[in-house]
Amino acid sequence: MRNILKISIVFALLLTVGCSKEYLDPAPQTSLSDLTVFDTKDRVVAQVNGMYAFMKSGAFLGGRFFVYNDVRADNFIPKSSNLVTNFATWNHSVVSSTNEVQNFWGSVYAAVNAINIFMDGLKTAWDGGKLTGKITQEEYNQYMSEALTLRAICFFDLLQLYAKPYNLGTTNPGVLLRLTPMKSAAGNDLARSSVGECYTQILSDLNTAESLARVNYATALDNTTRVHRNTIIALKTRVYLHMQDWATVVSESAKIVGQTSAPFSATSGVAFALNPSYTALFGTPYTSAESIFSMPFTTTNTPGGQNGLPHYYNSASSESYYLNTSPGFAYAAMDPADVRRSSLVLAGGNYFLGKYPDFTTLTNYAPVIRYAEVLLNRAEALVRAGGTVTAEAIALLNAVRTRSYPAGAYAGFATAADFYTAVLLERNIEFLGEGMRNMDLMRLGLPIPAKNTSMGNVAQITSSSTSYIWPMPANEQGLNSLLTPNE
Amino acid sequence: MKYLNILAPRFYTINLNFLFMKRILLLFSLLLIAGSFVMAQTVMISGTVTGSEDGLPLPGVNITVKGTTVGAISGTDGRYSLSAPASAQTLVFSFIGFVTQEVLISGRTTIDVVLRQDLYNVDEVVVVAYGTQQKREITGSIASVKGDAIKAVPVQSFDQALQGKAAGVQITLPNGVLNNVPVIRIRGFNSISGSSYPLIVVDGVPIATGNWGGNAITNALADINPADIQSMDILKDASATALYGSRAANGVIIITTKRGSGARTKVTYDGNIGFTQPYKIFEVMNAAQYIEHKNKAWVNLLGAAAPQISFVNDANGNPIDTRWSDYIYQTGFQHNHTISFSGSTPSTSYFLSAGFTDQEGMIKKNFYERKNARMNLDHKLNKYVNLGANIAYTLGYTEAPNTGASFATAGAARLAFVLPPNIGPYMNDGSGDYNIEGSAIGRMGQPFPVLGYYNPVAIFDLNKFTTSTDRLLTTVYASLTPVKGLVLKTQYGIDYLNAEQTTFQSPVTGDSFGANGFAGNSYQKFKRWTWTNTASYNLSIQEKYNIGLLAGIEEQYSHNIWWSGNKTNVADRFFKVYQGTWVTAGMGGGAIGENYFISYFGRASFNYNRKYYVEGSVRRDGFSGLAAGNKFGTFGGGSLMWNASNEEFISSALGSIFSDIRLKASYGRVGNISAVGDFSSLFLYGAGVYGAVPTLGFNQAGNADLQWETSDKYDIGISFGILNDRIQSEINYYYNDINGLVLNVPQSPSKGIPGNTIPANVGSMYNTGLELTLTSFNFSTSRFSWTTTLNLSTLKNEVTALAPGVTQILGITGGLETTNRTVVGKPVGGLLAVETRGVDTETGRRVYVNAAGEEVLFYFENTGAARWQYRDGSGNAPAITTAADGKVMGSPLPKFFGGLDNNWSYMGFDFTLGLTYSLFFDIYSGSKAGLRDQRWWNNSVEVYKTAWANPGDKTNIPKPVMNDNISNGSSFPISENIERGDYVKVRSMSAGYTFRKLPAETNIESIRLYGQVFNAFVFTKFSGSDPEVSTQGNSNIAPGIDRNSAPQARNFVFGASINF
Repeated sequence: MRNILKISIVFALLLTVGCSKEYLDPAPQTSLSDLTVFDTKDRVVAQVNGMYAFMKSGAFLGGRFFVYNDVRADNFIPKSSNLVTNFATWNHSVVSSTNEVQNFWGSVYAAVNAINIFMDGLKTAWDGGKLTGKITQEEYNQYMSEALTLRAICFFDLLQLYAKPYNLGTTNPGVLLRLTPMKSAAGNDLARSSVGECYTQILSDLNTAESLARVNYATALDNTTRVHRNTIIALKTRVYLHMQDWATVVSESAKIVGQTSAPFSATSGVAFALNPSYTALFGTPYTSAESIFSMPFTTTNTPGGQNGLPHYYNSASSESYYLNTSPGFAYAAMDPADVRRSSLVLAGGNYFLGKYPDFTTLTNYAPVIRYAEVLLNRAEALVRAGGTVTAEAIALLNAVRTRSYPAGAYAGFATAADFYTAVLLERNIEFLGEGMRNMDLMRLGLPIPAKNTSMGNVAQITSSSTSYIWPMPANEQGLNSLLTPNE
Repeated sequence: MKYLNILAPRFYTINLNFLFMKRILLLFSLLLIAGSFVMAQTVMISGTVTGSEDGLPLPGVNITVKGTTVGAISGTDGRYSLSAPASAQTLVFSFIGFVTQEVLISGRTTIDVVLRQDLYNVDEVVVVAYGTQQKREITGSIASVKGDAIKAVPVQSFDQALQGKAAGVQITLPNGVLNNVPVIRIRGFNSISGSSYPLIVVDGVPIATGNWGGNAITNALADINPADIQSMDILKDASATALYGSRAANGVIIITTKRGSGARTKVTYDGNIGFTQPYKIFEVMNAAQYIEHKNKAWVNLLGAAAPQISFVNDANGNPIDTRWSDYIYQTGFQHNHTISFSGSTPSTSYFLSAGFTDQEGMIKKNFYERKNARMNLDHKLNKYVNLGANIAYTLGYTEAPNTGASFATAGAARLAFVLPPNIGPYMNDGSGDYNIEGSAIGRMGQPFPVLGYYNPVAIFDLNKFTTSTDRLLTTVYASLTPVKGLVLKTQYGIDYLNAEQTTFQSPVTGDSFGANGFAGNSYQKFKRWTWTNTASYNLSIQEKYNIGLLAGIEEQYSHNIWWSGNKTNVADRFFKVYQGTWVTAGMGGGAIGENYFISYFGRASFNYNRKYYVEGSVRRDGFSGLAAGNKFGTFGGGSLMWNASNEEFISSALGSIFSDIRLKASYGRVGNISAVGDFSSLFLYGAGVYGAVPTLGFNQAGNADLQWETSDKYDIGISFGILNDRIQSEINYYYNDINGLVLNVPQSPSKGIPGNTIPANVGSMYNTGLELTLTSFNFSTSRFSWTTTLNLSTLKNEVTALAPGVTQILGITGGLETTNRTVVGKPVGGLLAVETRGVDTETGRRVYVNAAGEEVLFYFENTGAARWQYRDGSGNAPAITTAADGKVMGSPLPKFFGGLDNNWSYMGFDFTLGLTYSLFFDIYSGSKAGLRDQRWWNNSVEVYKTAWANPGDKTNIPKPVMNDNISNGSSFPISENIERGDYVKVRSMSAGYTFRKLPAETNIESIRLYGQVFNAFVFTKFSGSDPEVSTQGNSNIAPGIDRNSAPQARNFVFGASINF
């Protein structure tokens, strides 16, 4: 009998062992399921901020997008020949498989998809009544407005590197207009839209966004790091400038450039104005009235080692870029008394930008668009639209110029062409290291100048050269059978 | 007992009809109840056991009454006595190293036995899934390696020592860095996105594997002291592995640790000391050669106005000529010690051991230390119940500089050959300061661009990377044998592994110069429990019908927590640890994973008269990582064996030559779960921050349809013994068809899917090969013996399907270089390169071949479209790219591989010679691209001697043009850098002498003194440091890459093994 008892105990044990339901269905503790992300307003707002976080990836607005546009152009010389830090972009030797060609594309489209997924999810939740009592109609509109604006920035920035500029023809291949959320294996193939179609989409997104946007936020930080109505208008002046639709640049900029003489502050919405100090723009708190839209960084949210602007422009970095001091480049065009020149850092015999001093923590904000650009956009458009140099145009140009170089005010210009040269130079000097130069050259169809330096001689690239724009990324070419390569 | 015999055949029939777990258990319980009524009468039998060779008494011999658990163990005088049931007919005498003998009792009460030494190992016991079997009874394909074969090998983990030991098992050490994780492939590559790494089972419990360190690489298998291992059994075919179900596709390695036996306490000390050195270091230019070569290259780029490199004088006014490898490699010292106690009483057997190993690597600042203790106990509580436990606790510590292969600018192996020889590690002003320039090594006034690479002496001195582990590996069990042949066993296994990594990067220079120093700690806590309950029943009817049944339930739960913190901007340079004071706290990181298996399994085996064997197993696994409704899968296998030599007509015809002939065939379907993560089926959002506000973002596109990969494995084989087993051989042919491969299906990057992939069961491929194992006891006398073991494997792998619309899967090296392409119709991981055809003799330019087959030359010094020109003079050509012009130019999978071991012993002397070989395979030598790069990087002496200089020069080194990073393959892989890797390696050579018959007062039974060389020689035409290399570690899709990998190490060891 004792045996039977023992055996029974063992068997009782054996048979009670079995499938434990809770073990078979574990739930992740560090990620949220897609079913719960619209449950509260906080989560919706977190998703909105999540779209900005995608934009802020190191390969995109976290740093490298600006660097690509600067080092492609003429002002900089690399310290290092490291291919990881954009050497191939600098000497125009990128091919379809070069990392920056693939990584930038991937980062931007990751943001596009995150935005599309959010808009789709938000709309579904809203229409389904899931958000009733949690967010208001105004908030719903505002989130949609932010999403559309960010998507427009994505497409616009993609066009800068992968497509021929608008002025070379609207039927040239543009980029892929991904407008719906991608969550499954379907949909690898998509043909490129034309440059004209891309601009139409960008403007459609921005115009819709403008109509839905909120006017301002409660804090200066939000006004600089999130999109509001005046941000959208400022971006539109840039887009129309690239389209050479001068009249619309003038009319759009008029919405925010409220005054007709210096300091030209905005009079409705967020009161954009030039910051009195140029150098202070690039220091804490980074939220001056001039900083329309910037990417914020903190010590716990850095752009990553080889991505951040300080890594590329700070003298302490082994892989930074310094200014080409030969005649014909921005450095030589600056007067020694110009703050923008005097604030440069001389190290090891070379001049480096002082804009991004925080090489240790990499927390310098990355400026996406500043009010100074809106003023210069308007100045240029005023002249180009009418063909004559107006007093307002000169005043706008001088407002930006004399802030940093009080003695440098222009009294007048003999010809409109002289004005164009001056405004282009001003942009070159003002936005050094902010990703403007290459965009300015290309929107006008200008060649990228030759660079003869100790790091090699790089020939001039004209607008007819295949190197004028980047190739389509190899990894996209391999999977998207409808993709037209850049010949 | 008769009652039971009558019932048993009926039971078997029933079992065939109902192969369901719970019913089997019910039937077992019926049996038990039946069995418990049986009453026994006994008879006393005693006698003496002696050895045939010397006639001396043999202690510790196991004597059992056949078919029962009744038994005894012989004492120090060789005497035994036991009380056998009256019905007992046969006694079985078994002792390790001797041929098991069965003796008919025939009414005797005194039985003396002489045991013959088992010279040919025919009676080996092999550990199989959830049990053991006699080697000759095994119907599946299993290779066994004894622990003795590896214990004196100077390795950190046993897997390193398995190289070349078993057919079909390919083991590659990625490089000579201490404690690296070897690449193990059993019968080829069995996955693409998942792992091809086998399941490792230690004393019945599947354990954690892989690398648990960061820079300081730490192999989880190093927590097992190789000296504690009794045997390693490698399960290869589906019939052998089927009981492991969804984790069986990559094969299974079963590790069994030592147990005690023998009445006398046996004390063993094993210890050795050794030295380690890099096997081969690249020969690069000295300062004079470098200056001459680079200046020429500069003139070729810029003409007479080019800047010129020159000698730099050191503090004493002598020109600097630095051999950087001298600052990176060293002769490392190692010592290892293990002491063990083992023995048994009639009721308890014990094995206790403690080990200590302390090793310096061939790379400076590379250390490994292990302290471990083990206790294995088995106790017979009474006639019915056995209890036992294996408890092992290990402390591991690894320290290493950044030895990172591929493209790390801190990677030690790369720094050993890339840096210019005309600058040095210290300033030349006599200050003794490091030669640095910010994060990088200083230029000493030379007209280079900023070098970017670090000063290896500075970062070796200043930075520190460690991994500390503690590991508890424990099994406890209880088994009940209520009736003859039936064993109920419950076993609970624990694998707790804690790993702490620390990183300190100095603010002075190197990686964290910019951040003003960095300290990061991470902690990983892995906990797994495995509870296994089995019932096994063995029955022999009239010695002819032999039946084995096994049924079981197993649960396994694994929980893994990882978290990390980091700080930058050190407050005072005194602080070199995370716990010091730092100005800036980083975000840190963390992850929590868990998974669970619930499994039901059973096996039935049958043989008739040890002639005809049939076996089948089935396992049903549930896995938590799969979506609801998809969680369960059923796997199984079966095998047949015909022991032809037991047939009268065969043995009479062939018996004079063949002592044993067996034909085997097996089929099974098993799974591979490794590509399925803990939460792969879910659509997930991850949290982060945007500046200072929280964010949520889509970060995983899950797939609810995800399932295990399945492998259909077919195996046929023959094994035979010739001349009374003097020659033993086994030949197997296998075909392994893998379906439903989980591929991380590449998505168009423009879709913006996180990671640009979605996992899906879409691919298929197969492996097929022939395996031959031959063991020949060439001589076998008491004075002289010579044994040769040869194994040879062939391997053919072909991918037969990828995802719809996916034409290729690319393998990336170091995140930067596209080196491999997997396409349908070719082996996985083909080496991708642009074809090149040497150097044009007239222009000195590399000849590239574009996709259209046209020859194109590259002129670095030209700009724009003129850089690429058709060789035929027809003008500018489109730029060559990997994407457009690359093709698969080689396969890294060897067509043949294996090992050849020879063992000699003469009197007290013993010698071994172990070779491994791999033939017909290719390696992409990215290191060679680096060694020929025409930036300021130093080059191989070959470049100095043979670079093209004048029209008509025949060479494969093109005209040097400063900064040219394309002509030699740095920018994208070229076929010039793909080489045959075929090699024969003298893996180990040893010589020893054993002193026996020592004076009794020493209490020493024997002492063996030995010397051994590990990785002694490599015979190869490969130009890199070693053809045994894997920069990409265990990667399936990027194998066969040598990109700045550290060389292999050569070890010299001297040791003693003392038995008391």
